[in-house]
Amino acid sequence: MARVAPDLPLRANLSALDNIALIPLYQRHYSAAESGRQAQQLLQQLGHADIAPLRDPDMTPAQRFIAKLARALILGRPRLVIDRPGAMLYDVPYPDFIRQLAAQQEMAGTWEIYDFSWNQALYNQAHHPE
Amino acid sequence: MNFLAASIESLGAKVAGWFSVGYGMFAFLARAGSLLLERATWNRATFDVVVKQVYFTAVQILHVFLGYALVISWLIISIILSTARDFGLTEFASEMTIRVLVLELLPFLTALFIALRSGSAINTEVALMQVNNELDALAHCKVPPMQFEFLPRLIGGVISVVTLASLAGLLALLMGYLAIYGMNTAGFAPFTQTIAKIFDFKIMAGLLLKCALFGLAVTLIPVTAGLDTPKKLFMVPVSVLRGMMRVFFAIVAIEVVSLALKYI
Repeated sequence: MARVAPDLPLRANLSALDNIALIPLYQRHYSAAESGRQAQQLLQQLGHADIAPLRDPDMTPAQRFIAKLARALILGRPRLVIDRPGAMLYDVPYPDFIRQLAAQQEMAGTWEIYDFSWNQALYNQAHHPE
Repeated sequence: MNFLAASIESLGAKVAGWFSVGYGMFAFLARAGSLLLERATWNRATFDVVVKQVYFTAVQILHVFLGYALVISWLIISIILSTARDFGLTEFASEMTIRVLVLELLPFLTALFIALRSGSAINTEVALMQVNNELDALAHCKVPPMQFEFLPRLIGGVISVVTLASLAGLLALLMGYLAIYGMNTAGFAPFTQTIAKIFDFKIMAGLLLKCALFGLAVTLIPVTAGLDTPKKLFMVPVSVLRGMMRVFFAIVAIEVVSLALKYI
């Protein structure tokens, strides 16, 4: 299981791209160039290639979430858990934001969201915007 | 009576604390040493971090460091030469210069330089990583912090201190030669004979070991001090303060033991 959670931050002294590229570089022993290419491709798929050179403190909460999500996706685990998205995505209407990202993503696997019960209304609104 | 009991209790707690810190450091070192022997440790990512660490610790500051070594060497050589002349001991000046500068002072100052510049930075960074949960995040991504973050710092620290101390030593030898014999080759034979007499295998091995221990002290202690930081942001300066005090005492202890083994 891969997790995207407030308690799993990015490495602050690495760019978004390096945070993501670290995983193929370290786990699959790809070269730095190949790992960087895979990370860049994933960011492009998520529609946020522009955040590649940014470090954690320079990112907006949404950009930080994208970087964390890409890092979790590149792990290639069948189950993705997004833990308390409201604590990470306080600058966007997050149920829609996550739904759009999931639609852009071509990877297989299950995305699960764990959120506080009192936020249920936000998901219902996202389903029925009228 | 209560005061006495409280004092003994406090002293006991301090001694137990020192032992616990010492044990933690040696346990960490043993774990790092055992990982060095594992093949999985030696991958591209670890190698890249080692190179980066050596660059930031040694290469980036090379010009500043060499300038500093040059000034210190020049001053010490001038003091030794003028004192030797005053006492009619000029023939011992080159040996004195090499022993004081190359064997003792420059490795010690190199370790202090690296400790102040990189040791404090490592301590702060590891403490912040600990407080911000970044180490847990790396572990979640199956990137072991020991191989990716800590081991390269230890290796980089040892390589940097050994290399910088060697470069400073070579520079001091050159300065010593120029100060004693001037810009001619007449003194080359006696100077190289003095060098050969001093630098036997035992001295060379001792010097290398001392520099390697300095390198370990300026990286291992900050890393372990950083890892001991409680997960509270306001504890980061306390962690750096404790770590740097330990580094200072460790550097002095290594130097004192080295001097005692050599001259007593």
